[in-house]
Amino acid sequence: MTFRHTIARRFVLALTLLMLVLPLAAQAPERSDEIKSPDPKWVVGDPAGPPRTGVELEKETARVASLLRCPVCQGLSVNDSPATMAQNMKRQVRDLVAKGYSEEQALLYFERAYGEFVRLEPPLRGVNWLVWAAPVALLVIGGFFVLFMMKRLQRAPKNVEVASVDSATPGRDTLPDDEHLAHYVLRTRELAYGWPGGLSPASRGEGGEESR
Amino acid sequence: MNRKVLIAGLVIVVPFIVLLVMNLGRDPHKVDSPLIGKASPPFSLRQVGTPAVVDIMSLRGKPVVLNFWATWCVPCYAEHPVLVAGARQYADKAQFVGVVYDDQENKIVQFLAENGSSYPTLFDESGQTAIAFGVYGVPETFFLDADGKIVDKHVGPLDPATLEAKLRLAGAFR
Repeated sequence: MTFRHTIARRFVLALTLLMLVLPLAAQAPERSDEIKSPDPKWVVGDPAGPPRTGVELEKETARVASLLRCPVCQGLSVNDSPATMAQNMKRQVRDLVAKGYSEEQALLYFERAYGEFVRLEPPLRGVNWLVWAAPVALLVIGGFFVLFMMKRLQRAPKNVEVASVDSATPGRDTLPDDEHLAHYVLRTRELAYGWPGGLSPASRGEGGEESR
Repeated sequence: MNRKVLIAGLVIVVPFIVLLVMNLGRDPHKVDSPLIGKASPPFSLRQVGTPAVVDIMSLRGKPVVLNFWATWCVPCYAEHPVLVAGARQYADKAQFVGVVYDDQENKIVQFLAENGSSYPTLFDESGQTAIAFGVYGVPETFFLDADGKIVDKHVGPLDPATLEAKLRLAGAFR
């Protein structure tokens, strides 16, 4: 093989390689050589505390992760869920805690992407006050209502006594003083009970048994 | 008394019914992304099957279609041809980028070999990029304008009409 031959072969090889690589270069517009996950600093600034390691790191990671909602689960925290999503999130929490980010900073980082929903406990702000205050308010209102009803019940027996006075209950032959009204009462009794003239059997002197 | 009971009952029940009716057509799992209108989180990830790393910041100047997917996701199969064709059709108007998470690289390479590709696919091995974008599941697609601002998010597989509408929203046809 001659020297020129080798050069020609190398040239062809280089050209082939270039042709292979060029489309890739066209696809990926620009490259750096380092994989960089999104930096939390960009969202929540510098860590509030010193970096953490060992037992403290594990404890704090579990604590913060238990405050985060696993987005793909039903009411489970990131700390309690076996879902890949939750495990990734827990790893992210560990990263944040290790760098010294505070609980609030870590929660804020997730909140920026997932919204307030990602917090298992709604923070005390805006309409959320209602969520915290409503149960207490309802308990107080309910308490007053029960007290009010109890007081009313204690007063009730007196009312019953008043109502059970005999003279207040009209008998079957009692008639109002107003003659005009009395006429209608008799007529009504006649229609309703079939008593001739609206008089009860007892007052007609039939005694005892009624006809029906 | 009966009227009072009725009114009290209505006062308690009606708000619940209103709330129910208002949310009838809504997916209870769907939470609007708080990222819409905000700048895209900066990240750079390795392109699947290569040592090349793509920085999202370098894509500014053109609207970006950022599609999160995975090979185990059935709707992603349906969506893939739409994206491949879209990236070719709108090649001069927008940059398409795929981000795969919760997956294995060899499976992604195989998927792309079998189903074709017309834009870079990046591998989010730690899942931290997906987290920064508030991704719930796959497929989810983010539309970034030329300044890198997140303009819209689409959950579920894209169809050509939706793709065009969202690209318009991202300013691809200006």
